[in-house]
Amino acid sequence: MDNIYLPQLVKIVNIKEQSPTVKLFRLAPTQRSGLKKSKFETNDNGLVFIPGQFVLVGQIGYGESPFGPSSSPYENKFIEIVVRKAGTVTNYLHSLKKGDVITLRGPYGNGFPLDFIEGKDMVMATGGCGIPPIASLVEYIIKNKEKFGRIYVLYGARSPEEILMKDRIEEWKKEGIKVILTIDKPALGWDGYVGFVTDLIKEIQINEADAVATMCGPGPMMDALEKVLRPLGISDRRIFVSMERKMQCGIGKCQHCTTGSKYVCMDGPVFYYDEIEKNHD
Amino acid sequence: MIIISEKNLQDFLEKTKKDFDFFDVGSQDGKPSFKKYFFPPEEEIFRLSDSRIGTAKVSKKFILFGLNLPQLEALTQLDEIMEKPNKDYFYFQRRKQSFVIGLVKEKIDVAPGGDIVLEDRGKGQYRVLVNTLKGKNLIKNYNNFFETVDEKKEKIPQIPEGSSLSEWSKSMRQILLDSELLANAVEWSHGHPIWDELAQKCLGCGICTYVCPLCHCFSIEDRVGLDDKCSRCRKWDACTLPNFSKIAGGHSFRPNLKERYYNWFYHKFVRAYREYGKSQCVGCGACKHNCPAKIDIQEVLSVILRDYRSNQ
Repeated sequence: MDNIYLPQLVKIVNIKEQSPTVKLFRLAPTQRSGLKKSKFETNDNGLVFIPGQFVLVGQIGYGESPFGPSSSPYENKFIEIVVRKAGTVTNYLHSLKKGDVITLRGPYGNGFPLDFIEGKDMVMATGGCGIPPIASLVEYIIKNKEKFGRIYVLYGARSPEEILMKDRIEEWKKEGIKVILTIDKPALGWDGYVGFVTDLIKEIQINEADAVATMCGPGPMMDALEKVLRPLGISDRRIFVSMERKMQCGIGKCQHCTTGSKYVCMDGPVFYYDEIEKNHD
Repeated sequence: MIIISEKNLQDFLEKTKKDFDFFDVGSQDGKPSFKKYFFPPEEEIFRLSDSRIGTAKVSKKFILFGLNLPQLEALTQLDEIMEKPNKDYFYFQRRKQSFVIGLVKEKIDVAPGGDIVLEDRGKGQYRVLVNTLKGKNLIKNYNNFFETVDEKKEKIPQIPEGSSLSEWSKSMRQILLDSELLANAVEWSHGHPIWDELAQKCLGCGICTYVCPLCHCFSIEDRVGLDDKCSRCRKWDACTLPNFSKIAGGHSFRPNLKERYYNWFYHKFVRAYREYGKSQCVGCGACKHNCPAKIDIQEVLSVILRDYRSNQ
């Protein structure tokens, strides 16, 4: 019997500032984690995690927080997470430098339904700090591009400075992904869209009969998006939302992340929209 | 049939007290839960020293004595909860180290849980039911205290009529028989005025969850010692407490006591039913006996069931 709460040690190999309050951390396995190899384990399909799954990253003495990795799931030398300064653990992570060692558990949860989305047009909508799981899904799709139809990423942020992963977004565009950005209020030097992500729906051209939407973002944004996607012809069973809840154990025991009869850590974090829509919380 | 006399039982217990740690949970109605012996209020799950992570050690072998019928049932249910979906390391380390001896005053055909169960036949005689291999070995190692008798030839007192359980417990256990009905009714009751009333009454203290043999919410918290040693601990938590579903940045998914209190019922009677096909309640009465606001779970369920039925 294994101690299921035991994390592995990982080393910060790179830090990239994303915005005044957000940093991206690249984490690699350490020799000290007990692993002989300096690579993360992959599944039968060569994936380190399924996009949409989460890891618990932290430090002993500070605690753990859940993050949806933003790196390509095929990348086994490192995992990248995007960290917004919000609480004890994230403030601590922001104080770290390259070479520091922290802890990682996971991946946990279900992730996006990779088999189901194959062959379909994709609308991936996200806002604010919800971009990481969508980013790793985009990387997955790029690697399997011939298996997908039209690919859209709709991404809203409060201001141009708060658009995260700008360098990656430029690369996605080069790969033929249609990325549409929007900000909440007009800003100097911004010639893109202004308004909510929901307003961007009219900009997309998809085969509504066989499209899939994935969402990760603030609750009100996801509710508003569903109201726009449904009239388009995308049913609730083709809308996949990644939910946020308090996480502690990550493995379906501690009860913190429940919503209705579902466990976000085990049954989710990715749900059909109608699975969680009417939950009492 | 294996039997043990009152005198032998006392001697047996005295002997085992010398050989193992010994805890008598008592079996009076409404007593706080025995769960702490397997799932303590706070425990270390691992510790970091010299940049190495080491799993915390678990206690030595012990005897847990005196679980009554609802408590034995609760233990069996708690085993299932801790087994799925991932086997809980610490809980099962302690379970492995334990010998659980039940003491019931009701006639039972099969032990509902524990390693051995003593059925109190009155007149200083107990029938011994062996439930596990561990229990069998325990009796084998202390066989001079136990007697194997032929029921047909020797006169063993029959178990007295009735039950040691309180009237409250008996009627609660009647309600629990139809866990599907309970699940439907409690789910239906979201929005029922009773939750507003209860939110006024409930102090949000979490005592009901601590004394419950089946509540198992926990938080993971880190502890830093003055000696520079760091450890990660898990502690009992209660879904009725304000920070239970609060995330970094301050957002709480259940900001009001009304939602949290409803969730407590929802977990016991709806989520548990969907997960295990059974309510997470054994009708022990601990929550009712220990609630400082005198909330009676049976009264609440009765109101909900009454209104649910009349609305169908």
